[in-house]
Amino acid sequence: MRNRNVVSLLMLVLGMLCVLMLAHAQNAPEASEKGKEVYENSCAHCHGVEGRGDGSAAENLLPKPRDFTRGLYKIRSTESGQLPTDQDLFDIITEGMPGSSMPPWDTALSADDRWEVVAYIKTFYDGFKESETPPRAISLEDKIPYAEESVEIGKGLYVDLGCVECHGNVGRGDGTSAPTLTDEWGFQTWPANLAQGWNYRGGADTEDIFKRFIGGIAGSPMPAFEGDSFLHFGLTAEESKRLSELENKDEMTEAEEEESGKFYEKMDAAVDIALNRAEGMELSAAEQQTYDNAMKVVYEKSWHLANYVKSLTPEKRPESAIGNNVLRSQYVQGALPPMDDAAWETLQSGYFPVVGQVVIEPRQFNPTIDSVNVKSFYNDTEVAFLFTWDDRTQTIGDETDETTGKTLEDALAIQFPVKVPQGPTAPKPYFLWGGRLPVYLWHWKASAPEQVTELTAKGINNAEAQEAQGELQTQSIYKDGQYKLWVKRALKTDDKKDLQLEPGVFVPIAFSAWDGANGDVDTKRVMSSWYAFVLEPVPSSKRFIYPPLIAILSVGFLFGLRAFVQRRNSEEV
Amino acid sequence: MKRLSLFTICLIILVGSWVFLRFVVGGVISVPIPSSVIGMYMGLIIIAILVHISVEDSRFREFLRPVHETLIDDKRRIRRRVIAVLIPIFLLGYTYSIIAQRANPPGSPRDAHPSPPLELTYKDAVIGTMQDVVNPFRHYEKDDPEAFKAHVENGRRVYHQNCFPCHGDHLDGQGHFAPYLQPLPANFQDPGIIPNFQESFFFWRIAKGGPGLPAAGTPWDSAMPIWEDYLTKDEIWDVILFLSDYTGYQPRTFGEAH
Repeated sequence: MRNRNVVSLLMLVLGMLCVLMLAHAQNAPEASEKGKEVYENSCAHCHGVEGRGDGSAAENLLPKPRDFTRGLYKIRSTESGQLPTDQDLFDIITEGMPGSSMPPWDTALSADDRWEVVAYIKTFYDGFKESETPPRAISLEDKIPYAEESVEIGKGLYVDLGCVECHGNVGRGDGTSAPTLTDEWGFQTWPANLAQGWNYRGGADTEDIFKRFIGGIAGSPMPAFEGDSFLHFGLTAEESKRLSELENKDEMTEAEEEESGKFYEKMDAAVDIALNRAEGMELSAAEQQTYDNAMKVVYEKSWHLANYVKSLTPEKRPESAIGNNVLRSQYVQGALPPMDDAAWETLQSGYFPVVGQVVIEPRQFNPTIDSVNVKSFYNDTEVAFLFTWDDRTQTIGDETDETTGKTLEDALAIQFPVKVPQGPTAPKPYFLWGGRLPVYLWHWKASAPEQVTELTAKGINNAEAQEAQGELQTQSIYKDGQYKLWVKRALKTDDKKDLQLEPGVFVPIAFSAWDGANGDVDTKRVMSSWYAFVLEPVPSSKRFIYPPLIAILSVGFLFGLRAFVQRRNSEEV
Repeated sequence: MKRLSLFTICLIILVGSWVFLRFVVGGVISVPIPSSVIGMYMGLIIIAILVHISVEDSRFREFLRPVHETLIDDKRRIRRRVIAVLIPIFLLGYTYSIIAQRANPPGSPRDAHPSPPLELTYKDAVIGTMQDVVNPFRHYEKDDPEAFKAHVENGRRVYHQNCFPCHGDHLDGQGHFAPYLQPLPANFQDPGIIPNFQESFFFWRIAKGGPGLPAAGTPWDSAMPIWEDYLTKDEIWDVILFLSDYTGYQPRTFGEAH
């Protein structure tokens, strides 16, 4: 009897807990003093005390912190033009927005505090109070699973729908209109580099990508796939294909003119319905049917496109722990491969993230370059490097900075110490182009793409081109939002200001990069702290001698032991 | 069921302890133990086992019996052959893996909190001795809370215009640039940071940055800027007030002698 009481009590408590959790998962509490306090302590410095996105940190930041007073939220699970759900807001606070300065608050704020903040943020925009119906969620029901076939279809749509214009041929955010884009508030904004899923603000799952298509990214130039922002809205896939065919013809016959005219009428009607719906008008049953049919096509195409976008990025950000990722140059016999040789494909890239230079004025708080990827081969006399980095725009020194009048251009600098520090306590030069200890640099500029200048520096503003320029061979290319730079140098040189290389010796290496279109010039740049580089020694031939020797010895030992025990046994007997 | 032999029991204890230390404590409970410490524990366990089996002659003989049998008893022929193959193969693989291992870059020792100089300076002008200098605005905390609040707010502004990309919105050293810097930016939410140092120490670290570290501050990788080049003296003191106000930790003080 008592047992049953205990069980029913437990059930009751569990049931209540479930109800509480469910309630929590769906709705934020009423705005409270607590929410205001947490907001002002943790959020206001960027988003402003009144939620206008004008906190004291905002002036240095791009993307700008969100202005909450207009109810425009980028990352939503809801349809175009709809407000986000409470859960959407909670998730963004919890997970942050990768690639921007919005950090994840999962450890810094308790879940309760985050819910309080959600409630408080909603007070900045009256639309939350006024809306009577919950925002319309994007349906994920008819998901098309990831498959090669779907990716292929998506690839075609990527071109047809005009994604290329902003996101570029292979998705590196290098489309022709990329440098011209601004957001609702007039601030410059860059299209996402789709090859770097770890920087997608709202996550890189196929569902996340799909939601960005259907819902749009409010406030940004990324349109929601609906109405006239979607190619051939209102046509079926076949009709759309037919219309494209007709449109591609140099001349249409009369019958064809008529046929395409019908398509246009159908599209106009569907677009009108979508507009009416967006404005909250009631749709008739027929209109609703037209709209649903049109959206069915949009949804299907969006899933294919989402699968294609997913195929453009690695699953995870490459491993990048400092100290762990070492650039290992591989030994080859004979000539080193030139830039476009297939031999480079056999090497895995070293991934070296860079951050904005925020130490010395002028500073760069909003880097557009994520990382430098490096491969290297060496032989008995020379070493060759292949550096690749994504840059949305090619700037070759024909633009000047408006405020400083300085020439803007893309560039890369590779930094080594002049002398390799001997022993673990020997200091390295200061990571920002040296200090008391000098650094040796290779400086490449987009305006002279076949040339690398050797520099010696004792500080970021204290660099000089070496008088004796060594024989560095250089090749470079810019294609589809990515630079490739190939540099070859002798392992040993006669110049005392050069770094001398020896297999097996770990050499500190660091990078600076400039994106001219992002205003990078002089100290305003992205840079890395010291990583390690080594000419990976050819594996010792000892590995074929000692292990078998030890194995043979152990067999001998076992036999000896057996013989010893046998002899003693027979003696005892 | 047959009783386990003493040898098997000892073997189980030995292997079991290692698995426990390496995978249960180190993996499941996730308190990784350095391999040298595991080695020490294992050494102790081996000594204990040796003591246990060698206390009596008979026990020692019982312990060795399965070894004897395996070596010479014809009934144990299969086991003998399996062991005679497995041990050399294991040693072969193990020595190969040691010799063929790729070298890793040398680590550098680091003194996270090197000793400051005796005198605190700002742009070469002496402020006072490190021991005696106090934050000139700290007294407002008691005397004039309004003024104190204004200084904290100014410190908040300075922090969020300069420090937060590395030290983080939450002052926890997890700014969005932080993962790519070595050493990691200071975490002011760590109870071991603010309460352990005087405000003059923070002034020194902020004003002089990474390049101002003494020789002991190897490996010279700190990305901390020389803030005296960009911030006024008052701004540095304000930001120190903000650090302690936001985290709730009070910097160390040397109270008057009683």
